[in-house]
Amino acid sequence: MKWLVFAWKNVMRNRRRSLTAMLITAFGTAAVLASGGFALYTYESLEEMTARDSGHVVVAHSRGFDGDEDVPLQYGLADATGLAAKFAALPGVRAVAPRVQFSGLISNGDKSAVFVGSGVVPEIDFRLRGPQMSFSAGRPPATNAPAPEVVIGDELARLMKARVGTSLTLLATTTEGNLNAVDVVVSGIAGVGVPEIDKRLVLADLASVQRLLLSDKVGTLSIYLKETADTEAVAARVRGAQPDQAVKTWRDLAVFYQAVRALYNRIFGILGVIMICIVLFAMSNTLGMAVVERTREIGTLRAIGTLPGEVVRNFVFEGMVIGGAGAVAGMVLAGGATVALLFAGIDMPPPPGRSAGYPLFLSFSPLLYGAVTLVVITLAAAAAWMVSRHAANKPVTEALAHV
Amino acid sequence: MNANFPTVRLGALRKSYRVGESSVEALKGVSLEVGGGEMVALTGPSGSGKSTLLNLCGLIDTPDAGSRELCGTALDSLDELSLTRLRREKVGFIFQGFNLVPVMTVYDNVEYPLLLLGVAPAERRRRVTEALGRVGLESFALRLPDALSGGQRQRVAIARALIKAPALVIADEPTANLDSATARQIVDLLHELAHERNASVVVATHDERMSSHCDRVLHLIDGELQ
Ligand SMILES: Nc1ncnc2c1ncn2[C@@H]1O[C@H](COP(=O)(O)OP(=O)(O)OP(=O)(O)O)[C@@H](O)[C@H]1O
Ligand SMILES: [Mg+2]
Repeated sequence: MKWLVFAWKNVMRNRRRSLTAMLITAFGTAAVLASGGFALYTYESLEEMTARDSGHVVVAHSRGFDGDEDVPLQYGLADATGLAAKFAALPGVRAVAPRVQFSGLISNGDKSAVFVGSGVVPEIDFRLRGPQMSFSAGRPPATNAPAPEVVIGDELARLMKARVGTSLTLLATTTEGNLNAVDVVVSGIAGVGVPEIDKRLVLADLASVQRLLLSDKVGTLSIYLKETADTEAVAARVRGAQPDQAVKTWRDLAVFYQAVRALYNRIFGILGVIMICIVLFAMSNTLGMAVVERTREIGTLRAIGTLPGEVVRNFVFEGMVIGGAGAVAGMVLAGGATVALLFAGIDMPPPPGRSAGYPLFLSFSPLLYGAVTLVVITLAAAAAWMVSRHAANKPVTEALAHV
Repeated sequence: MNANFPTVRLGALRKSYRVGESSVEALKGVSLEVGGGEMVALTGPSGSGKSTLLNLCGLIDTPDAGSRELCGTALDSLDELSLTRLRREKVGFIFQGFNLVPVMTVYDNVEYPLLLLGVAPAERRRRVTEALGRVGLESFALRLPDALSGGQRQRVAIARALIKAPALVIADEPTANLDSATARQIVDLLHELAHERNASVVVATHDERMSSHCDRVLHLIDGELQ
């Protein structure tokens, strides 16, 4: 305690210099915390987005993910209802959504376009997708409508000049390799914010799609969990229970998430390294000057019996006081920014390939704050150690003669 | 402390400094014994080697040749860490320029050697209070050294040197920066306190009053004791 007080007094010896080092450390800490918070927020958003889209755990026929089917549902799951019930009974499972991916041509009589569609159970699927899919008109397809209903992407609706209630025709290859057509009514127009997807999107009732494809199989079963963190555990259980089927997690399927994560980790990693250098530089500069100025005092303390290690320790404490104060100030800055952004309503521009921006928020992670504080204090201590070691081991007479 | 040994025993000490190409022989074989509680004055012209000898005596410098003992312990084979530990326990220093730590209060400066020795807090408080009383600075305990006169600062330094009851006190021209009236007080105080605590003192000085208080006056000329 006495030593910390002593360190504090020495820090206050040259207030302006210590304050400068402290502020540099504070801004460095805040920059790392803010950018780290932004990266975490992005990861979390993408995680949620991807998991909402694909489901946390996806089960398919053993070759169902290979994408080399000759005809639709060649590698489909046969007893979908039985499997779904089995998965739904697993702990932590919120819902199981059967899906059929299909594609073909969509036509309004005058013109046709390619669509990429999903047959889904509307009551399950649209609830799970949540805010990710936004309806600009209409509602999800009804299961027992007189004519099969579909939701189409807003871009596709523009191409087809379709509105809610418009009749369109879907044309697709059946499981037997023939062409089949079905007349559908647009029940809703929606988008996921990715133009490439929204200009091909068709979501239809699962049963109607199965009728169109002449099959009672489903393509995949998407298992939605209550907690994203349970993903690996549930995936492992399903793999154990269904050795004949292929099981993937949202992470395996989330190409975009993985790419963004890799990119951000690199960008913010480099930023972190730069900050480490800046903090090291500021601290060693400030403490280095203090060491030079106090060389004679070091000599005095050494003469009256202070060990070199104790001299170094005193400087290390000084470094930790400055670094600690800087880290705390940085946390306050970053925390303040995190809270301020909640109310500021600032939007990020749309990411590549997307039509809508997203709100700029920072995630608060106690782990990140703790780790960064620890790193900053360690850096400060290391800088102090580096710059004081030499003077502390100087011959005492030499240190005393220093002017 | 073992009474059978002199506090300091120096045998044929040599020390030279390199200055560029040439070297200066500061001590040319100095032998000296200082008994327990003895106060020795070291006089001689400027450049005669007084400071060099004091530094060797006080274990803050190493000789080129010769032998040293402190309280019966041979020092020749000790490394810097062991020498530092010996200084911590047995040697007090008083400098010409006072050398107090400016950010520490008078109290903290005097307490510092006891912190190094790991003395318990209550015991520290008792001894610091007593030492400050002894040098007449109780009421200045919470001041910083900057707020003291030269004489007061040197009294703090004396308290700091003697608080751990060292076997040896090294004082290099302790009164050179003081006016003569103050110098007299400092001389009296150092003499009195060292005597009380049975500390041996080696003091380099040009000051006649200082030498007159000492048990022995040594004269150093050109690196040799006369
Ligand atoms: N660090 C050093 N480097 C080079 N030469 C030195 C050094 N210290 C002392 N000397 C030389 O050694 C000799 C003895 O110096 P020392 O300081 O011991 O003398 P002194 O008796 O204490 O003198 P003063 O009364 O001026 O303090 C002198 O010639 C001095 O120039
Ligand atoms: Mg001298």
